[in-house]
Amino acid sequence: MGGVGPAAGAEVFATGGDVGRDLMAVAWEETPLGPPGQWPQSLRTAVSILLSSRFPMWMAWGPQLTFFCNAAYRDDTLGSKYPWALGRPAGEVWREIWDDIGPRILSVLDTGNATWDQGLLLFLERSGYREETYHTFSYSPLRDDDGALVGMLCVVSEDTVQVIGERRMATLRDLGSDPTVIRTEDQVLAFAGAQLDRNRHDLPFTLTYMFDEGGPRLAASTGIAADHPASDPAWWPTEAAARGESTVVDLEGDFPYGDWHEPATQALLVPLLQPGGIPYGFMVAGLNRFRALDDGYRGFVELVAGHVAAGIGSARSYQAQQRRAEELAELDSAKTVFFSNISHEFRTPLTLIMGPVEELRGRPDLADDGVRAELDVIHRNGLRLGKLVNTLLDFSRIEAGRMQAQFSPLDLAATTTELASVFRSAIERAELTFEVDCPPLPQPVYLDRGMWEKVVLNLLSNALKFTFTGGVRIAVRAEAGAAVVTVTDTGVGVPAAELPQLFERFHRIENTRSRSNEGSGIGLALVKELVELHGGTITAASEPGRGTTFTIRLRFGAEHLPPESVTTQGAGAAVSSAVDPYVEEALRWLPGAPEEPVPERTGHPATVLVADDNADMRDYLTRLLRSAGHHVQAVPDGQAALEAARLRNPDLIVSDVMMPRLDGLQLVAALRADSRTAGTPVLLLSARAGQEASIEGLEAGADDYLVKPFSSAELLARVRANVELSRLRNHHARWRTALIDSLQEAFFVCDEDGAVIEINSTFTDVIGYGPEGLPYAPIHPWWPDQESDPEGFQQVTEAFSLLIEATQGTYTIPVKHRDGHRLWVAASFNQVEDPDTGRRVIVGTFRDVTAEHYAVQRESAVARLSVRLSQAESVPGALTAVLPALKELWQANRVIATVFNGGADPTVYTTEGPAPWDGLSENRRHALTVLRDEPLLTPVAERAGGAGIALEHPDGAMVLWVELAEKRPFTEQDQTLLALLAGHLGQGLHRIHQIDQQRETALALQRAILGPAQLPAGFAVRYSPATRPLKVGGDWYDTVTLADGRIGIVVGDCVGHGLQAATVMGQLRSACRALLLQNTDPAQTLTALDRFASQLPGAMCATVFCGVLDPASGELTYASAGHPPAVVTHADGATDLLDQGRSRPLGVRSATARPEARYRVPVRATLLLYTDGLVERRRQPLTAGIQRAAAAVQQARSAALEDLASVVMDSMAPETGYDDDVALLLYRHPGPLEVDFPAEATRLATVRSMLRGWLARCGVDSLTAQNVLVAAGEACANAIEHGHRQLPGGLIRLRAAATAHDLHLTITDSGLWKTPQPAANPHRGRGFTLMRAMMTEVTVTTGAAGTIVGLQTRIPR
Amino acid sequence: MSTPLTLTPGRDPSGAVVLTAVGEIDMSNSASFAAALTDTQRDAGGQFTVDLTAVEYIDSAGLAALFPHVDHLRLLSNQLLAPVLTIAGLDDITTFPEAS
Repeated sequence: MGGVGPAAGAEVFATGGDVGRDLMAVAWEETPLGPPGQWPQSLRTAVSILLSSRFPMWMAWGPQLTFFCNAAYRDDTLGSKYPWALGRPAGEVWREIWDDIGPRILSVLDTGNATWDQGLLLFLERSGYREETYHTFSYSPLRDDDGALVGMLCVVSEDTVQVIGERRMATLRDLGSDPTVIRTEDQVLAFAGAQLDRNRHDLPFTLTYMFDEGGPRLAASTGIAADHPASDPAWWPTEAAARGESTVVDLEGDFPYGDWHEPATQALLVPLLQPGGIPYGFMVAGLNRFRALDDGYRGFVELVAGHVAAGIGSARSYQAQQRRAEELAELDSAKTVFFSNISHEFRTPLTLIMGPVEELRGRPDLADDGVRAELDVIHRNGLRLGKLVNTLLDFSRIEAGRMQAQFSPLDLAATTTELASVFRSAIERAELTFEVDCPPLPQPVYLDRGMWEKVVLNLLSNALKFTFTGGVRIAVRAEAGAAVVTVTDTGVGVPAAELPQLFERFHRIENTRSRSNEGSGIGLALVKELVELHGGTITAASEPGRGTTFTIRLRFGAEHLPPESVTTQGAGAAVSSAVDPYVEEALRWLPGAPEEPVPERTGHPATVLVADDNADMRDYLTRLLRSAGHHVQAVPDGQAALEAARLRNPDLIVSDVMMPRLDGLQLVAALRADSRTAGTPVLLLSARAGQEASIEGLEAGADDYLVKPFSSAELLARVRANVELSRLRNHHARWRTALIDSLQEAFFVCDEDGAVIEINSTFTDVIGYGPEGLPYAPIHPWWPDQESDPEGFQQVTEAFSLLIEATQGTYTIPVKHRDGHRLWVAASFNQVEDPDTGRRVIVGTFRDVTAEHYAVQRESAVARLSVRLSQAESVPGALTAVLPALKELWQANRVIATVFNGGADPTVYTTEGPAPWDGLSENRRHALTVLRDEPLLTPVAERAGGAGIALEHPDGAMVLWVELAEKRPFTEQDQTLLALLAGHLGQGLHRIHQIDQQRETALALQRAILGPAQLPAGFAVRYSPATRPLKVGGDWYDTVTLADGRIGIVVGDCVGHGLQAATVMGQLRSACRALLLQNTDPAQTLTALDRFASQLPGAMCATVFCGVLDPASGELTYASAGHPPAVVTHADGATDLLDQGRSRPLGVRSATARPEARYRVPVRATLLLYTDGLVERRRQPLTAGIQRAAAAVQQARSAALEDLASVVMDSMAPETGYDDDVALLLYRHPGPLEVDFPAEATRLATVRSMLRGWLARCGVDSLTAQNVLVAAGEACANAIEHGHRQLPGGLIRLRAAATAHDLHLTITDSGLWKTPQPAANPHRGRGFTLMRAMMTEVTVTTGAAGTIVGLQTRIPR
Repeated sequence: MSTPLTLTPGRDPSGAVVLTAVGEIDMSNSASFAAALTDTQRDAGGQFTVDLTAVEYIDSAGLAALFPHVDHLRLLSNQLLAPVLTIAGLDDITTFPEAS
């Protein structure tokens, strides 16, 4: 064929946009596919699916795997190969990766099974260099119109950005998993190095240099030998790095390969920046030669360097801090020595402080309340300090044995009552009862008054401190020669285990609720010492939660006392000034202490939380910090501090160590355990000096430790330093937070039970749940509803088990946004160990793939639909194929298609097959009728039950109805999909309808042109076209009855198949027929046909066998124009090939005239004419096929001709059916005899004569012939006599045909035979006897239309 | 065309009555054949011979005409008719030519 321009058929590219235009521009005629106009339907369908898809696809077709692609593929993957690649062999387009993909494609073409690869690494050359790329793709087979594998379709999504992004992200995440914040520089570098070394894809090698005093020094390296020449800093241009700039360095020489198969060729030199200073150093990062150094890559290297720099900064700060703490510890130690040695020296300055302060407070002209308040503080704390100093002095005196007691006889009851009374107001302000039960004693007790005061005051102070409800009782009794003083409280009590140590010096009972944690721990020890100086004893009895009783026994008299210390003179009764400090101190424990606001100053304000149980200290700190411009919140204990910190995270917490409820160390631990406050810096204040104490504080996680007393300047400096240090130190955490928050993907952290404990802002953006609801325990609120969406719930449940159990993975699940709408997310996760707790946590990211999900769903649904449509041969067939696909897509109960074709009832198709309109419910019929009048392609969803849509059907309006399972909602996405599919379905049906019509046309054409409507007797034909759904092709057969009674026989084969070949064939056939009628000479006919063919496009090179047969004699004249030889099979099985008279195909010039040959067809021989489709097989010589055909005829030569034709077609058909047009023509000589004659006896002789002649032509011997004549004569006589008694003049038909070995006759009349009754008609009965005797087989078939007698006999050889 | 049949009564050299049939005998002319047989037997007044050697075809109607006369009848036949006459049970009164 030819004459069809490339523009014809170009509409296949119409949907392709730019790519379509570029495809159109390809010189297709130079490719094996030929011009688009000649492409098979299957290729056209494939190309149009490809072009109309927005999913990246390419395909290869035909022997050279000619390359096609769509716009999405061009944009995503093809790069600079476009448009060069179009129409080229795929192996050329993807030469560089052919080793990877070639075998896959061949496997698809070989097996017909699709391949699947996820994230396959391929080195593409599409941007001027070999590029590391990742692709997820599937190759699926494409078949041509005959179902043969001729190509493949690749649906691909390129994952390069994702894969590389994840790899880099993993490195950054690993860097961020730094298990401790504070570490040495070397540890920081070693840790970072270990992480960087795990990504030798992006960082084939790294070299980290520090700027030391002596110049750059190599501090760490990964992926490169330490003695590599490039490890010398001199190798690198360091000036830019010193200025804080990055530089790209081209590498020459032998550099490491990293995880690649070729060495790095470039490195990026990045500075390790120090905030506000020259860089710490610089890092040289070897670059992946298979990736361009784009913004992303550069950013990644810079982030890595930034992280290393931050780690170095953090380590250096920590080291500085550590040195400071050590220095402080040394100082403290010195202080302690100093303190204990010369504490008495305090008394002088204290006195000099207290004196003037007393004086100042007493001045009547002191009007400024602020000054007075400050003076009160000074006074109170001066008293306290004095008391402490005194106590210490007492101890040192006691220890040194230098305590000078003066025992004088005192009225113990009165003295005690007096002392107790000064405590009354404090105790009552604490809302406790105070009972003083001191009846007069029979005799005085020798006491040192000052010491006794301390005993009583200490005990009362102690009772108040630990008692919150109930009261305090002090009692004096005389018992067995001794005075017994008891101090009883209803306080917290002392655990039994603690009682033995109760009086030990510096022993404090931990974790005891008290009004204040102030205290030296020497009060009770001093009491004991003092009581013992009096020769007395003190014991304690206590029950935790009930109270404590101290019992002191002092003997009457002075015998037990050193005489030199005893005086008989009564001491003064006045309460000494030593009382004040105790009372003052106790009062400060009670609520209601004034807190004076101080105006705030501007500056670098930080929010500082102050926690101290001492109101004075609290006030002091508050005033001090506010004066420095900080925002201060003050709380009285650790628990309150923790609550306040959780409520509003301060910049810094300044906390006392000793506090009731929750002490400083516990506070720090609690803060660190909570992720919200883990990073909040804490400055601990304590009076407890010593290295051990500070280490304890730091180990607990405190950031700094300040020992009382401290100067205001020092405190402020520490506060400032800690706020700044924390900012620096939190750089890592803030960097991480910023990084996570800046992620385009949602980020989350789950604990090992699956509760979500951390999220980023994208998380909130995507599914609407914010950090305020943390933690989110499973079942998370975004899970689909189990009731209404069990399928989604199941998917999420499975994904959740994966998340909890696997160490890493990915999944895509539906989730419910907080506002209720449904979306799809693709998540990937990893298990990591929480560096702080050592517990397993799950870190994951996800992104909203709703659009992609539905796009893919739509694409695949459309593709499935298209495939089914393209396979359908008729419009009803298409509906039958498509409805189940729709049912499956929506998991619907059923799908109904109703066509309103103008008939009485609409035609209904369902997934269960065709259904009557009446078979639908009244409601459904109504709904469908209403839908018909809705706008086309507009989905209408019912609240429950399903959705429908109207579309165009070739026969009228069609309504598609999807009947959903109950409760399954039909979402907006479903509606979009339904509209899309309905659109495709409408188009598809229309197209099939057109093809239907085309085929009808073609069939009509075939009927008109393929061959004669009526074959002469003795012929049988078969025709099988190659191109489905067309039933015509380029082959033909013809018989022409010529004027002289001879029969022209033609079998021909035009190039190609399909409709176009058929049109050529039709014209050739007609021309040949006309020429034959005119010439009656095969060679002349073919010569004339040559001239005709040269005028007819597509007719060149057609092959034709043309013969003229004399049916009477079997004489055959024939000529062949390049056609395979006819085969004659003799009755005895011998075979002749009619291979004479051969010449070139039609239209091919030749100098010699076309030859002609003659042949006489022997009797009962079978002539086989055919086209090469019958015999041609790949990888087999044509002669083999011809021999097989001859053998097939030989085998079945005893069969009737029609049966023989079927046998030959069936036995020659390849397993997969004929893949080329096949025409077959059989003639058996002689042709059968067919005679119709009136049912009159006078006709019998003529008929007999004809039969006798025919039998002679068949070569039947005279005896057999006579037998046949007799049997047939009897049958005819019966027909005349019985069949037509009521219908004289009716016709009788005699038909006789021969096979190789048998004769078959039928005598048919149109009447009814009576059952033969030999008695009534003896000679007719005799007639039957004759028939049966003469013939091998006699059958009588009587039907409504008449009677048929069948006679058969074997022909003797 | 009606079936060609010539019936000629006569005598053989021995003087016996002979009916010589030439042509074909079928239902269209079996009545004439039967009539000729009846006439011939009456003329012969006893045994007579029917010469069928020039008959190319005889069907059951023709045979039916022969049966009433079997007791008085001799048949001369050719090989072609032998199967029919044999099947009809007339072979015992028939003289066939020597097989060639």
